[in-house]
Amino acid sequence: MKNTLALFVLSTRNINRQHIQLILVIVSLAMLVLGTGAPLEGGGVGIR
Amino acid sequence: MILLFALVAGLLVGLGWARWRKIAYRAPELQQLWLIFIGFLPQLILIYLPDNRTLPSDRLAAASLLVSQILLLAFALIDSRVTGMAILICGVVLNMVVMTTNGGFMPVSPQTAGSLVQEDVLLELHPGDRIGPKDILLHPQDTRFEWLADRFLLPGWLPYQAAFSLGDVFIAFGVFWLFASSSNPEKIQNRGAQIC
Repeated sequence: MKNTLALFVLSTRNINRQHIQLILVIVSLAMLVLGTGAPLEGGGVGIR
Repeated sequence: MILLFALVAGLLVGLGWARWRKIAYRAPELQQLWLIFIGFLPQLILIYLPDNRTLPSDRLAAASLLVSQILLLAFALIDSRVTGMAILICGVVLNMVVMTTNGGFMPVSPQTAGSLVQEDVLLELHPGDRIGPKDILLHPQDTRFEWLADRFLLPGWLPYQAAFSLGDVFIAFGVFWLFASSSNPEKIQNRGAQIC
């Protein structure tokens, strides 16, 4: 248990500001392409 | 989904290239990211989240799409100096042109739609009906800027099928290039976040 906690703390220390910034950019650009693109996908086609 | 593949592919290429050259990968430096969240919100609320019982009217959905795309285009223009963004902007403009001139939705022909949906489902649809979150079924002869519509199909042997437009191709290539080129040290001097 103690080792697991230590491992968790160690791994969170490796998540720095730059990693968070990269994740934020990825999420933002994913929304950008989803918002501006308009492909019609098979399978999940919702019919109105 | 097809556009997210391009994003992930660009990211993987960028990370791989950076690792191979033993240099740091940097996230693209973008300004005014909040504009994307604000711009995507109308689509999230009126296009993606509603189920069949709470669908907004076509006019409201088309208006929200237009407002959303204008805001997203504004963001892209602010960051147009970022590598790949100019290509992405071309795609956004192409999609906006064809959607705006066809009632606010992306036109798709019955023939193209027939490759994606079952025949019995397609028979229930009429020209002008919405199909998918952003598309509208239109005959090619009734479509303005038909060459910009969702008219391209992925190869039939792929398990995932989708129809996409020329604008989507530009958007996919732009976002791919944006992430893939972020590991190029010549283009990112003193810019962006460094990821080791």
